[in-house]
Amino acid sequence: MSALVKPLHPDEKIKAGKLGSSLTKAGVGIAVIFMIISIVLGSMQGDNWKRFFYSYVIGWSYIFSICVGVLFLVMLHHLVRGRWATAVRRIAEAMSSAFPLVFIAGLGFVIPLVLGYKDLYYWAHPDAHDPVLNHHLHHKLTWLSPGFFAVRYVIYGVAFSGLAIYFTKKSREQDETGDPKLSEQMRIASAPAMILYSLVVFMAAFDILMSMAPKWYSTIYGVNFWGSACVGAFAALALIVLGIQRTGRLTHSINAEHYHDIGKWMFAFTFFWAYTAFSQFMLQWYGNMPEETVWYKYRLFGEWQWVSIAMLVGFWAFPFVFLLSRWTKRIVPSLVFFAVWQLVFHWLDLYWNVMPQYDWQVVTNGTASVNAGPLMGNTALHHVGFSPVDITVWIALVGVLLAGIGRNLKGNLIPVKDPTLPLSLAHENL
Amino acid sequence: MLGDGALYGVLAEYDTPGELIEAARKVRDAGYTEFDCFSPFPVHGIDEAMGIKRTILPLLIFGGGFAGLLGGILLQWWTNAYNWPWNIAGKPEWSIPANVPIAFETTILLSVLTAFFGMWMLNKLPQVWHPFFRLERFGRVTDDAFLLGIEARDRRFDSVATTQLLKDAGAIAVENCHLDPDPASRTMPGWITAFIVSSTAFALIPFAIAAKARNSHSSEPHIHVFPDMDFQPKYKADAASDLFPDGRANRGQLAETVARGSLNADDTFYRGIEGGKWTEGFPKQLEISEQLVRRGQIRYNIYCAPCHGYDGRGSGPVPQRVAAGGGAWDARNLVQAGGPVVKMPNGQLFNTISNGYNTMMGYAHQIPPADRWAIVLYTRALQRSQNAAVDDVPQEELGRMPMPQMQTPAAPAGAGSAAPAAPTGSAPAAPATPAPAPAAGSAAQPENK
Repeated sequence: MSALVKPLHPDEKIKAGKLGSSLTKAGVGIAVIFMIISIVLGSMQGDNWKRFFYSYVIGWSYIFSICVGVLFLVMLHHLVRGRWATAVRRIAEAMSSAFPLVFIAGLGFVIPLVLGYKDLYYWAHPDAHDPVLNHHLHHKLTWLSPGFFAVRYVIYGVAFSGLAIYFTKKSREQDETGDPKLSEQMRIASAPAMILYSLVVFMAAFDILMSMAPKWYSTIYGVNFWGSACVGAFAALALIVLGIQRTGRLTHSINAEHYHDIGKWMFAFTFFWAYTAFSQFMLQWYGNMPEETVWYKYRLFGEWQWVSIAMLVGFWAFPFVFLLSRWTKRIVPSLVFFAVWQLVFHWLDLYWNVMPQYDWQVVTNGTASVNAGPLMGNTALHHVGFSPVDITVWIALVGVLLAGIGRNLKGNLIPVKDPTLPLSLAHENL
Repeated sequence: MLGDGALYGVLAEYDTPGELIEAARKVRDAGYTEFDCFSPFPVHGIDEAMGIKRTILPLLIFGGGFAGLLGGILLQWWTNAYNWPWNIAGKPEWSIPANVPIAFETTILLSVLTAFFGMWMLNKLPQVWHPFFRLERFGRVTDDAFLLGIEARDRRFDSVATTQLLKDAGAIAVENCHLDPDPASRTMPGWITAFIVSSTAFALIPFAIAAKARNSHSSEPHIHVFPDMDFQPKYKADAASDLFPDGRANRGQLAETVARGSLNADDTFYRGIEGGKWTEGFPKQLEISEQLVRRGQIRYNIYCAPCHGYDGRGSGPVPQRVAAGGGAWDARNLVQAGGPVVKMPNGQLFNTISNGYNTMMGYAHQIPPADRWAIVLYTRALQRSQNAAVDDVPQEELGRMPMPQMQTPAAPAGAGSAAPAAPTGSAPAAPATPAPAPAAGSAAQPENK
């Protein structure tokens, strides 16, 4: 308890062994089975796969956001020369290294979009080009065009995967050489990497999620998405670290102190998410301008208001009050409860961001009928309209994430020669 | 050793934080309770080694934060919804979203203040005088010394055995600490007490001044805290100035100049004069249309109807209010057949609206010229309608009008006798409405029709 540094326990099991490959197999199995179920359910919807693709974007954003969050932890700890996280950093690196596979999974909605699927993003619909009906959307369509969207998607994929692979590779290299200069290199690289990272996170959130409601805009949207992403990421990190410990690995190295810090991050981002979500809401509520309030109109009235209230209570108030105490973060079953809770509500957050745009309104313009897109018409006509495919696609994509993580759980599960590891092992919260 | 007062305790120095922790554990295990550790920085694990219970400070902070939250909401409810209801942007007077930022700030404020002052209080700070301060060694505690002090009041304290215990625990030095023989040195130094008392008293002065000002009257001028804001080097309208020969700060219009947009050269449009006389027609730039009549109606109902009434008979809400108060006054009847207003040329009517007549104020400042002309036009229409004869109604409309008095042969006679006498008195004009003579109707027609 009292030492400032502590060596790695001699009996510690630090090798991944078969853990990675079994996780990959499980992940692939889940992904395949649930994707088949989803495709069947999606085809039965009779809405030209619209529900399926909406659920796909939610599920994909979910696994994407978890990688986004853990990559932040990795880079931040290099940037500020953090100590406590060194013991869990290799696991975070493995999670962030799922990026390439996640981006391949995302092609599941990007390729149909490029091939002319018009029911997912309204801006890809021909009626979005109507210069009278969609006057202010008309001007955005150079940016929001399927081809350019796909180009940006590839850029985001390359940027995120590159960052994740760089830090993982250097870290593993240090396992071999033990060269402290590698820590220095990663620290120097992490500063520009952080700038690139934040730009790419915000742009990706604007493109993939905010453009679901293409006429609406909020400059803080990317920050808010990132807050939610980090809540989910730290919750997922806690569960995966615990899962690895349950296989008998790393049992001496990772203790309540590390869980406590993961819990602190989860708590902090829970509040951060609420703070930015409220910032976004309050300015638009106060400004009361129709082009901004429309996004909230369909969330605060009709059926969606109950989901909004559930978000306020479930994603913020309840976990915030209970995670205030240090004991809810240090006692592992309690932390697990809140991690699972926040992972569910992180999904609900993405659902709440995407699904209210599902109902598109067809209006009569003279004699022609025109699709006016999402967030139009009477709020009472917009239903939460929950469908089983929402869940099955999500589970399938979580399977993809698990497979991506499993592929990278190999070799040492802890950066054995990192100079800060003895500090991390002796880490203690005052 | 300084002085020779009673023994306060012993102070041991250790080389490293680790040794300090080990020593603290040994002292605790030996059963001592009245001891403390001193180090230049927080040492991980020292509280556990000393057997200190976890602080209750987080609970206090939670309480403080919660009080801040409730206080912030209460503050906004009291100020904005209860004591002085205030409409901001059409939002509800007590609106939770608007309260969130303030409540957030007050929550943080009270949490932080509770954390800061709670820490001081729980640590019994500020402690400006402590026996260990007398030891030179203790001065290094903020620099590089790791110290452990045991007080003599501990029931296990024994000057020899305790010193031995500390030495066995690896102390590089152990020394006794005696109280100052002078009891005065153990109290707060006089100058600190004096400073606290005087600064507190000084801080209360503004409140005292404010309290006095609220409860007394004064003939003295205001205190000007920012005189350069209260007295700015500029002139207000119609102020005096020594700079100019006429002693006025206002510089009037220069001769032979016209302010932009103020030429108003068109006598007919701006003054109602044509060829030196009141114009009988309307300015040529106005298109006489139904739209202009409706414009005139709206302006008339805003500016004229309060006195002259919607029907123009001079019994609007203001005369009615006079009557209700026991007085008797009517505004001019604008529609009286053969009356002065009916006979007035359009130009004179325009001039009356612009510049007033008797007790009526001019409306040139409130109503633009085109609107004044629209009112003239509407007044003409009112005169026409209020003096209309049966012949004025188109034949096809006539059959559809439910007018019982039209069907009785006595009606024309009754109307004939009532019409000349009716409206000027204080009697309400209502019963006389459908009456008067065809001649008045034709006289009231606008000239250009």
